[in-house]
Amino acid sequence: MALTCGRLSAQPGADAAVQFRAVDIYVDSKEQPLAAYQLEFSVTNGASAAKIAGIEGGESLAFSEPPFYDPRAIQHERVIIAAFSTNAVSNLPKGKTRVATIHLQTSRVVEPEFELKLEVAADLNGNRIPAQATARERKAQ
Amino acid sequence: MKSKIPLSSLRFKIAVPLALAITFLWSGCTSQRPVSVTKLPGAQTLVAMPGGGLPESSLAPAGESIGFDELWIISRAVDSESQPAEDSPGTGALIAEVDNKEIPMPLKHTDVRASVSGYIGSVEVVQQFLNPYSGKIEAVYVFPLPHNAAVNEFIMTIGERRIRGIIRERKEAEQIYEEAKRQGYVASLLTEERPNVFKQSVANIEPGKEIDVTIRYFQTLEYADGWYEFVFPMVVGPRFNPPGTTSGIGAVARGAAGTSGQQTEVQYLKPGERSGHDISLRLDVDAGVAIEEFRCATHDVTHESPSPERLTVALKPGDSIPNRDFVLRYRVAGEKIKSDLVTYQDDRGGYFTLMLYPPKELKNLTRQPVEMVFVLDCSGSMNGRPIAQAKAAVARGLKLLQPGDSFQIISFSITASQLGPTPLEATPENIQRGLNYLDALEGEGGTMMIEGIKAALDFPHDPERLRFVCFLTDGYIGNEAEILGEIHKRLGASRIFSFGIGSSVNRYLIDHMAKAGRGAVAYLGSRDNAASIMEDFFERISHPGLTDIAVDWGGMQVSEVFPREMPDLFVGRPVVLTGRFQRDSNVPILVSGKVAGEPLQFSIPAGPDDTNTTHRCLPSIWARMKIADLAAQSIYEPNAAVTEQIKQVALDYGLMSAFTAFVAVDSTRQTEGEEGATVPVAVPVPEGVKYNTTVPEKSESQNE
Repeated sequence: MALTCGRLSAQPGADAAVQFRAVDIYVDSKEQPLAAYQLEFSVTNGASAAKIAGIEGGESLAFSEPPFYDPRAIQHERVIIAAFSTNAVSNLPKGKTRVATIHLQTSRVVEPEFELKLEVAADLNGNRIPAQATARERKAQ
Repeated sequence: MKSKIPLSSLRFKIAVPLALAITFLWSGCTSQRPVSVTKLPGAQTLVAMPGGGLPESSLAPAGESIGFDELWIISRAVDSESQPAEDSPGTGALIAEVDNKEIPMPLKHTDVRASVSGYIGSVEVVQQFLNPYSGKIEAVYVFPLPHNAAVNEFIMTIGERRIRGIIRERKEAEQIYEEAKRQGYVASLLTEERPNVFKQSVANIEPGKEIDVTIRYFQTLEYADGWYEFVFPMVVGPRFNPPGTTSGIGAVARGAAGTSGQQTEVQYLKPGERSGHDISLRLDVDAGVAIEEFRCATHDVTHESPSPERLTVALKPGDSIPNRDFVLRYRVAGEKIKSDLVTYQDDRGGYFTLMLYPPKELKNLTRQPVEMVFVLDCSGSMNGRPIAQAKAAVARGLKLLQPGDSFQIISFSITASQLGPTPLEATPENIQRGLNYLDALEGEGGTMMIEGIKAALDFPHDPERLRFVCFLTDGYIGNEAEILGEIHKRLGASRIFSFGIGSSVNRYLIDHMAKAGRGAVAYLGSRDNAASIMEDFFERISHPGLTDIAVDWGGMQVSEVFPREMPDLFVGRPVVLTGRFQRDSNVPILVSGKVAGEPLQFSIPAGPDDTNTTHRCLPSIWARMKIADLAAQSIYEPNAAVTEQIKQVALDYGLMSAFTAFVAVDSTRQTEGEEGATVPVAVPVPEGVKYNTTVPEKSESQNE
């Protein structure tokens, strides 16, 4: 299980108490085609720091549909998202691919802290494959 | 071990170096369409607020009247120093020609894809919003869905990008949406205004841009008299709200936002006006047994039957105006109809639904004399075809009465009146009196339904006869909770059989009147045969119902079965029960009850369901019925704790409710410029409903 932690620092200069930010989630399956994954993204210091406001699909066609989430987990600003693709191996992504984007409303006062856990990644036959999950904020346009 | 690492900007502690971030190009992700701006040479100009969302100070006369043309301009104050060209974003200029009856609206199209397996339907609705104006807008659309719809998916699509909405406590979702709107982000919000009325808001749609919203829901189908019925409602009918209420759903003319005084408003197109909004619908049915016959009286459809069990119907392109319910009925091989248990299990436990059909024995028994009370809604919305249909149905009912029966006719609009001070014996002379009384009834005035309820339920009950109250209405009221509460309070030994009259009726109210009244519901559309619907009803009440029903669930260890109060079973009218169970069991389910005072028992096979994977929707259907049950409980016995329970069930199962909402925000880009005008989507009045008798010219407060 891969685990990453991090923090979004408040951005100065705006008058609102909250701002909106997007965090891209990547899974790197190295040389193996990625057919399925389950990961957990959580705000570890509560809803006063950040609230999840949308989940977007990934860059590969195999994972372009926005992933499903567990409605019980999201009440605690935790998303357990999972997706699988039945595309042919040739259409599955390899290496590092953006599998989802989490849209957030974040506080300008409380710095949000996050945790990202990759529970599992699998190939087309359902076999577990080594992979790592990472996250990065997308610069607003 | 987990650790928290403060960083100056977003950085995650990771095991491998970060690769290049993917740069997302907004410009490639939304459709860019030309903005329609039409100038009418020499036309009369009238500056108004089609959407009602612009500040009053922004309105200014733009020309002289010449009588036959009408020019609408949305005008927003702009900085004179930076005033851009008229057709560039930010001017907020919309000019639309009205003499050709085409009114631009930000909702372009609705696409409905539905499938039915057995008696469970799964429906996907895509609403395609397009900003036809030259300024940024917020589109607001009030629309209907079936009241038993378990809405559990919401996706906002911007170009190729699809963002899944998040279910949240309603106030929290509204706050996120409002803040996103204020800061210029594209966002959408879905709220429930009534169990069958929803509001879609989409913020910061830029000129010429398109944003789609996809909603998915599950529902159980109705079954009556041998026919399954799939209904997709297309328009909210204009509601009447009793004086003094503010929590209703107000009907206002296009451009008259805020004049109803109600918390939710629907704007209606005037006679002859048409928005560009159209609808397409496709339905795939897999009945599991042979489909013997189907009917769609409401729309022109194409159809194909790939196998005897399957049927596909689609709206013909020429029948695409969303101004009435789509109703498809299909009949399956009669001998195959039997009570059917469907189960599903996951890590939360087991869920089931049971469609409980009445035993065949009921058909062999005859009824005792009845005291039939016909209650007709004679308000303005019933004027025309609806009242004609209601009168035809009652006329047929009068003729079907038998010696020994008695009857009463009550009509209501602002007040109630009745045929006689007490029910009349069903003699030929009295029936003729009833027909004459019926003939004189017309539809006009408001809908004080409470007067009809009181008149129908408050007079002394004749102990020698069963009292059946036939309530014929379109249900166009905004105070549903008050009406259902009064029925619950006053019902006594009466049974209410509600008839929804018209092309787009308030099915939530009419269904729940029958449920609260321990009777059954029927619908009489503007194209249906009124006499035939009334004959079906008389066939139903011509046999005694199965009452005092109890169910022994065998070894399933069942809990939380809804509806909590078991309804009576009438000929031709099964009921759907849904609940949770702890374990599979092969012990048959035993149903017992009384028929005309005599005990009756029958059993239903149980056992593990080998189609588990196809019934993933059962938890949602169960949760939706639990929410409906709790909501009904809160009407009859108000209790703050119930609100919390509804909210928690809805959040746990990811469902819409009165206290939860879906919100989706695209946080990758802020649109430019100030918050746009709010443009409500104006809709046509339902087919057969007269605009002039239902949509106030003045505000309701002015009318009082």
